[in-house]
Amino acid sequence: MNKTLGAVALLGASALVLAGCSTGGDAGSSGSSEGAEIRVWLVGTDTPQDARDYLKKTFEDENPGSKLVIEEQQWTGLVDKLTTSLSSNDSPDIVEMGNTQAPAFTSSGALLSLEDIKKELGGDDLLPGFVEAGSWDGKLYAAPYYSGARVVFYNTSMYDQAGVTVPTTLDEYVSNGTTLAQALPGVSGVYFPGKDWYNALPFIWENGGEIAVKKGDKWDAQLSDAASVKGLEQVQTLMTQASLAPKDGDEADGWVPFRTEQAATYSAPSWAYWSIVADEDKQPTAVAETTGYFALPGMKSGSTAQVFAGGSNVGIAAKSKNPDLAKKALEIMLSDGYQTILAKAGLVPALTSLGDQVAAATPELAKVIAAAAANAKLTPASPNWADVEAKGIMQDLFVNIANGGDVTSLAKDADTQIEAILNG
Amino acid sequence: MSTISMPEVTSNAAAPSDPGPARKRRRFPWAPLALLTPALIMLAVFIGWPLVQLVIMSFQKFGRAQIFGAPPEFIGLDNYVAVLADPEFWAVLGRSVALCVVSVVATMLLGVAIAVMMTKLGAVMRTAVSVSLLLAWAMPALTATIVWGWIFDTQYGLVNWVLTQVTGKDWMGHSWLIDPLSFFAVAAIIITWGAIPFVAFSTYAGLSQVPGEVLEASSLDGAGGFARFRLIVFPYIRSILLVLLVLQVIWDLRVFAQIYALQSIGGVRAETNTIGVYIYSVSMASGDLGAGGAISVILVVILLAISAVWIRTMLRSEES
Amino acid sequence: MTVRPRRAVSRVFLNLAAIVVIVASLFPVYWMVNTSLLPASSVRSTPPHWWPDQFTLKNYQEAFADDGLVTALFNSMAVTGITLVAALVFAFLASIAVSRYRFRSRTTFIVAILVIQMIPAEAMIISVFRVLDGWYLINTIIGLSFVYIAMVLPCTIWTLRGFVNGIPADLEEAAMIDGCSRTGAFWRITFPLLAPGLIATGVFAFIQAWNEFVFALVIMTRPEAMTLPIWLRAFVQATKATDWALVMAASTIMAVPVIIFFLIVQHRMSSGLVAGAVKG
Repeated sequence: MNKTLGAVALLGASALVLAGCSTGGDAGSSGSSEGAEIRVWLVGTDTPQDARDYLKKTFEDENPGSKLVIEEQQWTGLVDKLTTSLSSNDSPDIVEMGNTQAPAFTSSGALLSLEDIKKELGGDDLLPGFVEAGSWDGKLYAAPYYSGARVVFYNTSMYDQAGVTVPTTLDEYVSNGTTLAQALPGVSGVYFPGKDWYNALPFIWENGGEIAVKKGDKWDAQLSDAASVKGLEQVQTLMTQASLAPKDGDEADGWVPFRTEQAATYSAPSWAYWSIVADEDKQPTAVAETTGYFALPGMKSGSTAQVFAGGSNVGIAAKSKNPDLAKKALEIMLSDGYQTILAKAGLVPALTSLGDQVAAATPELAKVIAAAAANAKLTPASPNWADVEAKGIMQDLFVNIANGGDVTSLAKDADTQIEAILNG
Repeated sequence: MSTISMPEVTSNAAAPSDPGPARKRRRFPWAPLALLTPALIMLAVFIGWPLVQLVIMSFQKFGRAQIFGAPPEFIGLDNYVAVLADPEFWAVLGRSVALCVVSVVATMLLGVAIAVMMTKLGAVMRTAVSVSLLLAWAMPALTATIVWGWIFDTQYGLVNWVLTQVTGKDWMGHSWLIDPLSFFAVAAIIITWGAIPFVAFSTYAGLSQVPGEVLEASSLDGAGGFARFRLIVFPYIRSILLVLLVLQVIWDLRVFAQIYALQSIGGVRAETNTIGVYIYSVSMASGDLGAGGAISVILVVILLAISAVWIRTMLRSEES
Repeated sequence: MTVRPRRAVSRVFLNLAAIVVIVASLFPVYWMVNTSLLPASSVRSTPPHWWPDQFTLKNYQEAFADDGLVTALFNSMAVTGITLVAALVFAFLASIAVSRYRFRSRTTFIVAILVIQMIPAEAMIISVFRVLDGWYLINTIIGLSFVYIAMVLPCTIWTLRGFVNGIPADLEEAAMIDGCSRTGAFWRITFPLLAPGLIATGVFAFIQAWNEFVFALVIMTRPEAMTLPIWLRAFVQATKATDWALVMAASTIMAVPVIIFFLIVQHRMSSGLVAGAVKG
């Protein structure tokens, strides 16, 4: 029994060792451009299919023998995946990441420097705020990819019904929200789910507040400053009195209540327009004819508010096996051709010169988008900001605010947590 | 499942393990070593080595930059001190322990009760119960959490609808996950629901080993149902229950999948983190592997402390 | 006798309790399948549909149309299959070593495999990732299988050890006296008795590997390498707000193979638990 069993055991052990060694096959793929494969990670559904096809075709035409593969990733858990994948031997070549997540990776050596192709990528034509988010130590590591302007969509017939007009100041926007909710039972005056912190930021900024400001070497979180608190209180009014959205809901697919006539006002990235007027089966929705839009107004009549500049950056992995080919692919992604396709899909392109190409059903929407984009602002440019987002501190803050908690003390808690992470 | 020998049970196959023939003891143990080799290799490579790395990292300042190649700095016990001084850690630990206690107690009580019930049922009913429990056990934790989350959904969930019908108050739109206590109640339901079958089956197996004659003799002597259970049956199954208890405590304290999935459905993350999710958040999301390592080591120490007595008893019976 | 009416009442009570248990265990499973067979619009309305009165298979069609599903199904089956077989073999060998032999570090080994179960797996993700990465095993089925095998070994060794302990060595001795070789005695006497234990352990390993999420998320990053739990989560995130019926269909697809596996082995498993669980 011993001999047989012992033999079996040794056989098993050696099989293991052999299996472990033999899968080293792909490791040897060289940097030569013969039959290389470039893997591109695109996140979520924002990049339209036309753009993806264009990228693949153009790359393969210009680099015969090589292939380009697009791998789809999700936003949730992206930072974890990027952290492990970019450090592995099987790293993707090009990765898209949120502009707020870029500093975490530009600062840690995960990405390749793009300084040598900065001109080809667009140079000074690149969106300045995003260039800043994608740079570290003076060098560009993650180029801007696209931006989104937030636009307020509203239901024209509901506004008429409640006797409310398009607001010209932020305060009017807030009071409209409550009026609408009272006039239309069962309908959200402003659809504002608890985790939707992006839409809450303009209120902080317009009242003169800030999330966090760098003072010398340390970050000072300022959510509990008087100015910010005023903005937070406006958000609370909207969330508790004007919105019927789940207090702990997130902003994903928030256009569904709007297009099913359960919300009178909804602030969203400009490309949400296409999901509002047509559903997944390309059929016109109930609000196709009654959707209006305006840029979120600022404090003073006639001004536009500073809104959050959503959007993505795109970079090349430091461990990419084909850095030269990856650079070529990146140049395609920032070419006029590619960026125009993005613009025609409603995204704000990374190249400012193409700003007027942003498609909209009407010239008015294009104007609104341009106005909003011009006034877009980013989150604190700290490499640790991605951690603040990963921990959901902002979401937690607003969920608690939506639940009617005391704004000042909640803001103080959030400040303490944010400072611990940004300065830690 | 129980692995303690029970010398007092005299059923025909319950002999403690016999050593091999005495002469093997003096020679080098080639045979067992060869048998152990594959398992040892797997454990050493994929658990042992990462574990060593984990402990080393807990003494270093290890962040995202280090993941990408920067050399780590040795900082001694700083991570441990920071963790133990962090009130959030204690809050997370407290929550985890509370959730663990509630889940384990519920699982054990209900599991044993169901097992007892199964011994008294007719064959048809018993099979029906077995199959139902099996189906519940087979459901993957992720799927179970999604389904229960759907049942407790804020806008379209069944629970809210039933409550509205029953109580007359409007429960539609009530979020079950936003209040931490309610969140954990839902989590406890999910965990317990998934854990009861294992306890029930194992206990049932143990109960069927109780010799029928002893039970009959005691009932003829006039012992009532509950006294019979307490004085006769319980000592037989005590060791299984102990094993089950320790396993449930370890698993429920470390629970990850259900909490993680539930948090992505709703609730406030900072208020509902348990230690498994917290370690993940600190290690992966924040990239602070040093702190993550320290927390893990502390957790293992705690679990060891809890199970120390049992381990010692078990080892002693091994030697006999 | 006065015992009879009391027994009749408690019989009713008992059956009632059994029914409660059955309903409580089955309800979520039923609700999942029920929702998956309804069209998306009915699912988002009140009052709820208690049974699929508007039966449709559209959700399943849509789920299978997502080509990630078939690949994920295949990957999960491959990884789980490898893990199952390897873990059973290795654990079997190890449990024989630990039960049938005495050697100096035996106790250490037993304690070690217990302590290993206390370590939170989430903390070791990066370290395990680097081990696999060093051998270029990221995004490979065999790489993930290795991790799973190591993950389930402690518990499977522990369980099998209990089963082996429950089969006295004298049975083999008796067979050898009758003329069998040691190996022959083992395969002919002990091994068949061990079968239920192997099945019970196999089921456990199957569930662990099939449902594991965290390591798969980080190790299998290419879409073509995804396992079912990862696919399901991505799918849920993409459709949650609009299509619960589709989510339930996807969830059912993930749960079905496990349930089938369980139902197949359930009879042998319960007898396995009976035979081995109590033995020390």
